Amino acid sequence: MMSTAVVDTTTGPRVAELWKSRQDKERTKWSSILLLTPALGLLVVLFLIPMGFAVYLGLTDLTLLGPTSIHWGFTGMQNLTRLKQDTEFWSSLWTTGFFIGGSIVGVVFLGYVLASLLQRATTWLRIVVGGIVVVSWMMPAVTAGMTWYASTTGNGTFATLLGTPNSNFLDAQPLLIVTLANIWSMTGFCMLVMGAALRNIPSEAIEAAMVENASTWQRFRLIVLPLMRGTIIAVVLLTALLSLANFSLIYIMTQGGPGTATNILPLYSYQQAFSFNNLAYGALIGNVMVLIATVFGVLYVRIASRS
Amino acid sequence: MTLSDGTVVELPPENAPTQSNTVRKITGNTILAGLGLLFLVPMLWLILASIDTNATWAIEWPHFSLRNFQAVLTGSLLHSLWNSVVLAFLSTLIASVAGVFAAYSFSRRKIPFKGALLLFILFTSGVPLTIMVIPVYEIFAHYGWLSILPTAVFLSVTSLPFEVYLMKNFIDAVPEDLEEAARMEQASTLQVLWRVIIPLAMPGIAAAAIFGFVNAWGSFVVPLILISNGSQQPAPIALYTFLTLPKPEFGNIAAYSLVFCVPVFILYAASSRLFREGFVLGGGVKG
Repeated sequence: MMSTAVVDTTTGPRVAELWKSRQDKERTKWSSILLLTPALGLLVVLFLIPMGFAVYLGLTDLTLLGPTSIHWGFTGMQNLTRLKQDTEFWSSLWTTGFFIGGSIVGVVFLGYVLASLLQRATTWLRIVVGGIVVVSWMMPAVTAGMTWYASTTGNGTFATLLGTPNSNFLDAQPLLIVTLANIWSMTGFCMLVMGAALRNIPSEAIEAAMVENASTWQRFRLIVLPLMRGTIIAVVLLTALLSLANFSLIYIMTQGGPGTATNILPLYSYQQAFSFNNLAYGALIGNVMVLIATVFGVLYVRIASRS
Repeated sequence: MTLSDGTVVELPPENAPTQSNTVRKITGNTILAGLGLLFLVPMLWLILASIDTNATWAIEWPHFSLRNFQAVLTGSLLHSLWNSVVLAFLSTLIASVAGVFAAYSFSRRKIPFKGALLLFILFTSGVPLTIMVIPVYEIFAHYGWLSILPTAVFLSVTSLPFEVYLMKNFIDAVPEDLEEAARMEQASTLQVLWRVIIPLAMPGIAAAAIFGFVNAWGSFVVPLILISNGSQQPAPIALYTFLTLPKPEFGNIAAYSLVFCVPVFILYAASSRLFREGFVLGGGVKG
């Protein structure tokens, strides 16, 4: 009797229940949520709430100073109509496009060329050149802006080295020069990422192609490019996102000028909000930036989460 | 070479591949050296002007002296550097503590909507959160928070998502057995974190913290807008104010810029390997 009772409780439904509770073991614990709270709380309070607030702010008449800095309210589509007719906004959008597009082309091209040359280079040259490019990437934007201003203004380093000390490249080609400065300050990052990706390409693949007499271009197009596709797209998107927000470099070099030649969206947004007093309109231009960043950001998430 | 049926076959000379390899190597090294020089040119002014007592925007052979460095390491300029230390240190501390908790939870625990939350973290790690600065300004102005502490908190948020992502990758690599062993000994979650996870994932945590520090240290637009009190402004703003003076001291500007770069370079050099791995892992760019 006794033994059957024991057997009864430990077999059949009892065991099934034990197994069930085993499967159920991974339940959400309160401590898991608690651990997430500081980080998610910070992101909600200082990212999601400001983002929602900015959408509303963009449709109001808030100013930095004056009566509407205290008694402000919803003005409907007024700011949007203004934005649509604002030629300075549209030209700023084009300037931003050139700045981002030029930066992507320069950063990815130079980053790849440097990474692949560094792999085959003599050791001391690799250390020196790699070091210089990394230093230009690590340099804080304020310092980079300062030294690029000095190098490209009248009597600057480039003008002196080219034997025409009086030419002021920054005044003559402002957008091109700030784009070059941005490329200079971001290539190091691309070079490191590309270098890591290149080292991950199996050397057998390259050797097999060599045996088949594939040309350099064929090896690049048929082996390197397909294997590095994800890396290249990710670098393109990150360059776009970081360039979009690169306020400091241009602000130090030209403050958006001369005229509006280098007035990319973050500068125009800042100018409207804090120089022209229109906080609400500045916020609306900021929202356009958020929209653009969201497009790039979503593409980036799709690429990066695939691996 | 003549085959048995009499046809003559031209074999490629045996040293041809190595010869073309040498040519390629020399060409490659030359192009690389050229690119390196191009990248070096914009830095020349900074170096030469910093040791020149009569520096201007022009590039000149310096009248060598270290007086510029002495001049910028005093008074309000030194105070601004100290503000930068406070700002960067606080924001790193906040982001790293909040980040390591979140990274552990993401790595080891079952969380509702985990996939979606991780995608949100990845998204915010790519999107520069500094573009939120105008609405954040309005919120801070409303509550009277336009000072160094709240600014440090906002800066911590701008590096937090990337830090979480980076640390999660490193915590994922810590073997779970070690943690279970600690659990057997009745260790609490905080003890497990402190005694097992943090020591073993230290390279990742250090890389994340350095990323956060460098991010806050170099930040210009955020303190420019969010700190209204001049005596709390960090070094980048002091540097910019320097430029707007009627008669700027160019040598001092260059020297101060270089001094400002030093911590960044030291941190990078101390952790270059971590950084490289970190960016590849954290950026999710595995190809």
